Amino acid sequence: MEPAEVEFLAEKELVTIVPNFSLDRIHLIGGDLGPFNPGLPVEVPVWLAINLKQRQKCRLIPPEWMDVGKLEEIRDQERKEDTFTPMPSPYYMELTKLLLNYASDNIPRADEIRTLVKDTWDTRMAKLRLSADSFVRQQEAHAKLDNLTLMEINTAGTFLTQALDHMYKLRTNLQPGDSSQSQDF
Amino acid sequence: QRVLLLVASDVDALCACKILQALFQCDHVQYTLVPVAGWQELETAFLEHKDQFKYFVLINCGANVDLLEILQPEEDTFFFVCDSHRPINVVNVYNDTQIKLLVKQDDDLAIPAYDDIFRDEEDEEEDSENESDGSEPLEKRRRFEEEVIERTMKRRQRREWEARRREILFDYEQYEYHGTSSAMVMFDLAWIMSKDLNDMLWWAIVGLTDQWVQDKITQMKYVTDIGILQRHVSRHNHRNEDEENSLSIDCMRIAFEYDLRLALYQHWSLYESLCNTSYTSARFKLWSVQGQKRLQEFLADMGLPLKQVKQKFNSMDMSLKENLREMIEESANKFGMKDLRVQTFSIHFGFKNKFSASDIVYATTSLMENIEKEGPETTNFIKALDSLSRGNLDKLHQGLDLAKKQLRAIQQTVASCICTNLVISQGPFLYCSLMEGTPDVKLFSKPVSLCLLSKYLLKSFVCSTKNKRCKLLPLVMAAPMDVEQGTVIMVGIPPETESSDKKNFFGRAFEKAAESTNSRTLHNHFEMSIIELKTEDRSKFLDALISLLS
Repeated sequence: MEPAEVEFLAEKELVTIVPNFSLDRIHLIGGDLGPFNPGLPVEVPVWLAINLKQRQKCRLIPPEWMDVGKLEEIRDQERKEDTFTPMPSPYYMELTKLLLNYASDNIPRADEIRTLVKDTWDTRMAKLRLSADSFVRQQEAHAKLDNLTLMEINTAGTFLTQALDHMYKLRTNLQPGDSSQSQDF
Repeated sequence: QRVLLLVASDVDALCACKILQALFQCDHVQYTLVPVAGWQELETAFLEHKDQFKYFVLINCGANVDLLEILQPEEDTFFFVCDSHRPINVVNVYNDTQIKLLVKQDDDLAIPAYDDIFRDEEDEEEDSENESDGSEPLEKRRRFEEEVIERTMKRRQRREWEARRREILFDYEQYEYHGTSSAMVMFDLAWIMSKDLNDMLWWAIVGLTDQWVQDKITQMKYVTDIGILQRHVSRHNHRNEDEENSLSIDCMRIAFEYDLRLALYQHWSLYESLCNTSYTSARFKLWSVQGQKRLQEFLADMGLPLKQVKQKFNSMDMSLKENLREMIEESANKFGMKDLRVQTFSIHFGFKNKFSASDIVYATTSLMENIEKEGPETTNFIKALDSLSRGNLDKLHQGLDLAKKQLRAIQQTVASCICTNLVISQGPFLYCSLMEGTPDVKLFSKPVSLCLLSKYLLKSFVCSTKNKRCKLLPLVMAAPMDVEQGTVIMVGIPPETESSDKKNFFGRAFEKAAESTNSRTLHNHFEMSIIELKTEDRSKFLDALISLLS
């Protein structure tokens, strides 16, 4: 999967906005949205929120977990544990990026939030690399990782599976006689 | 419904255009943008597009002529005109249907009353219908005499009315000046629609600063408009003080500054900026050796070492930069420069980018009038338009480099003109003509650059001459425009006085002089005081102008 595809899936998540226009309920394939009244908060998917924000038709309210205190706790928790801790949202990285790029004026202390999320991401990726390394070394057959988000899986997944494929092919080639034909990669 | 935007080629128009484009994007209005540099281009663009569009928006063009007569549009086309040129043509003002003018309510327009200028045509027909086909010859004769008397009375009244009308119109249209910046009018529009953003506010600020840099508005109006914008700035940018919830560093902040009047000084060295700003260069008289010495004295008085002052401003010692503005102001007062600081705004985004409004004005002007041709005619305009967006910093830096070159060229030309006494008094005005071989003369074949040069030249001349009468004269400046076609571009600027109201009478004067001598002139620019004429006709044109104005 491309990162762009993962981001596309992340845009379906709901986020609260405060519109400055009024509109009746709209019926979309994915469900109903609205009604929109100026000044009253309403939940919409992120793709619509970003579009409205760019057209200056709404103000975004950051999700609950996007707060300096909470993120500091999460980051410290992540650093303490050896395994992966549950994340506040399965799409925390994408949501952070989208909201901070387009609506940073609606999010207080945006720079600190960016730093904290990046720290958490780095810690988790380091754990993933360690885990993959030990997996390969010990030549395990399968592994179980809890609480990974789709973006993290996607970052490591393709490379890991292709590398394991290559290694398998190299390994099977080491045994002489069994497979005398050369293989196509 | 699609809209055609016709935008004139000056920075104020560019800013107004940017604001309008942002508003159009919010509401998904389709539009086509056509940059126009003069009346001919306006007419061609209109003829090309009149079948496809019903709505035309004219920015900084079209208010001072009779639009309906020149363009001859259909009944159902609408024109929205947002123009800072004054006086507004009376036909445009009193047209109810097709022409809509965007002006601020308290802009003082001094439009003559309707009855003074327009009169119903029915009176004439009444006279011709009074042909009697009466019966008796005697009665007929008496009635005929009465009618003759009535008719002569009416004709006399009409002639008096027409004479008064001509006088009123002459007074009204004699002087050209500028009203509120179009960018500010557009920002007001956005504010009324509650769609105003910090970006649009910045463009409004740049539009106003452009009017100030080009000396188009009086100091009082500038200060009033700054006050208006200051209220908007504090409304949008008050969160910067609050430590708890401060904005991300990438967000754009605008700050009010009581900043130095030195052009581009934060992107140049302080020394260069002092040499190349007209205010300081004229008062120090930097074209003479004594002037240079005075400049050294000035720097020594402030305690700034030459080495520091000549290097890039960003690399100057922090200890020197801390109180720089106050120090310079104090020393400047000693040397006779009381207005070295001026109220303006600056923009700040990211860690590196800090620009003052006048920096942006100089950069955009030089991008727009860049003489190096890269591609079709409109690329310079589009490049300048792009450089106003925050994402296109490379274009902005290119503009700043070009602006530095332009300012240097202007200063050198001014210095050589004064030293070689090229500015001569022709009686009612001063005249200066640039020869073809002058270095950088190509830069001055563009109207805005030539205007800037003339203003700086006049300022410097006023400081250098001892002749009291000459100090109050206006200036006419000529520069070669196109060597192959043998044309010259000529601008006229009003005299340089402390309380000048910036009203320019050269527009009408040029027209009359051209008519009386049958010179081959082209009054193409939206400013009436800029014309092109053939080099051969120059001397007879000047003679006519002299006799007209004496």
